[in-house]
Amino acid sequence: MIYLEVKLPDIPGSLIELIKPVSQNGGNIHGILHHHDKKINNMIPVNIWFELSEELIEISLKNIKKGLMEKNIQLIKISVGSKNKILTFILTGHVFDTDITETIKRLDSRNIKVLELHAKFTEIDEISSVIMKVEFPEDMTKFELTNEIEKICKEKNLFLIRS
Amino acid sequence: MCEDMEVKICLIGMGNVGTCFLQLLKEKQDNIRVNFNFNCKLVAIFEHDGALIDNDGIDLDNLLDDNTNLRKNQHWKSNVKAQDLISTLNIDICIETTPTNPNTGEPALTHIIEALNKKIDVISSNKAPFYLHYKKIQDLAKKMNSLVKFEATVASCVPAISIKKSLIGNTISRISAILNGTNNYILSRMTTEGISFSVALKEAQELGYAETDPTLDISGYDAAGKLVIISNELLGWSKSIEDVKIKGITKITPHALELAKLDDYVIKHLAIAEGNNLIVEPRLVKRDSPLNIQGTINLIELQTKYAGSIILIGKGAGGFEAASAILNDLINIVQKRGGL
Repeated sequence: MIYLEVKLPDIPGSLIELIKPVSQNGGNIHGILHHHDKKINNMIPVNIWFELSEELIEISLKNIKKGLMEKNIQLIKISVGSKNKILTFILTGHVFDTDITETIKRLDSRNIKVLELHAKFTEIDEISSVIMKVEFPEDMTKFELTNEIEKICKEKNLFLIRS
Repeated sequence: MCEDMEVKICLIGMGNVGTCFLQLLKEKQDNIRVNFNFNCKLVAIFEHDGALIDNDGIDLDNLLDDNTNLRKNQHWKSNVKAQDLISTLNIDICIETTPTNPNTGEPALTHIIEALNKKIDVISSNKAPFYLHYKKIQDLAKKMNSLVKFEATVASCVPAISIKKSLIGNTISRISAILNGTNNYILSRMTTEGISFSVALKEAQELGYAETDPTLDISGYDAAGKLVIISNELLGWSKSIEDVKIKGITKITPHALELAKLDDYVIKHLAIAEGNNLIVEPRLVKRDSPLNIQGTINLIELQTKYAGSIILIGKGAGGFEAASAILNDLINIVQKRGGL
């Protein structure tokens, strides 16, 4: 997510001028906030947040900044927010026989928090499947997270399918 | 090469792909002459039990009227092997479509090496030599100043390899692909009908989408081989199938597919090249993702630095599909050799 703070003159049409360079460069706008209460010298602080394709983020941001400059829009701050570190995965095998609680605790000990869990099984000692949604630390890569889960899967003979 | 130039070719392997290629060549002969200014002269066809060699050119009409005419022809020689005779032929391009061992790449590998050693350009529809010995083949081709083309090895006529030329000004950072139609059919049926893996496989076999022995497909080995080839070509790597982390689809259960639906996912067997890694495994894919294709279709998604995602999609198998990819390669080679 990209967070942009600008100052716009309090006149009709100024918001459109702000949106144009964002949308023309692939920005998917999630929200806009006008701070009318903070108006000084007829200038209003405006926050806008939007998504950009990860692959094009560098070039799109450059173009957006250039577009804002050409329109004499005063840029106060621009920041790139961290990505939501959430992964969904399915485990198939003897998920319950191999102690699902212990699996969750093992993940938790690595600061991987299970947010959601749903299960499907016929008999408790038969092959079953669970889907888990986990949140993992910002400094952990998806690759490292997968390695952690795969270690458990190897030990417990579970089959991992991840997002 | 000049106008009305003659390009002499040989075909090794006259199975389904080889026969389709000859039919296509016959059909397109006039078009090739008019648009690309060359005539194709077929001087040899090799089969497992002999060869038809005629330096004056083999009559395609007669041959395609009845396949048995191959061995009835006065120039047919029994019990001769392509690998022994390639170096004696006066040809420009060798087209290799033999049934090949997936673990050794033979006999295609030897045919390719023999042809390149004789400075003959090569076109192959066989994957195994390329996912096993990509670097060896490319190094030899470079050393001998020969061209080697293999568009048909990945997703058949979908331009998975030749797209490289169209993206020369861009940078490909990641490949995500569905490269095995059999597996995609099985998973599609399991998802939509809630049937088990074994039932879906049986159905695929009955419809001719899966082999009697489907091991290479369902284990992920076939997709892994194709992934190696496109990654080496598009990302400039020199990897082999041993570098791929492979998981098949046999352990996917209807329960797992039902759970995936809860969070708006489907399970797809993906071939992924990212970072420095090659991975073939089932993955959760959002239902509205372009990767969620149905049936036996192949799909290749290229993440590019300057244009985001570019997607190729189409039939990944079939005789005429592969034959058209071979003919593309042939025209490309002639053009590259200055045939225009």
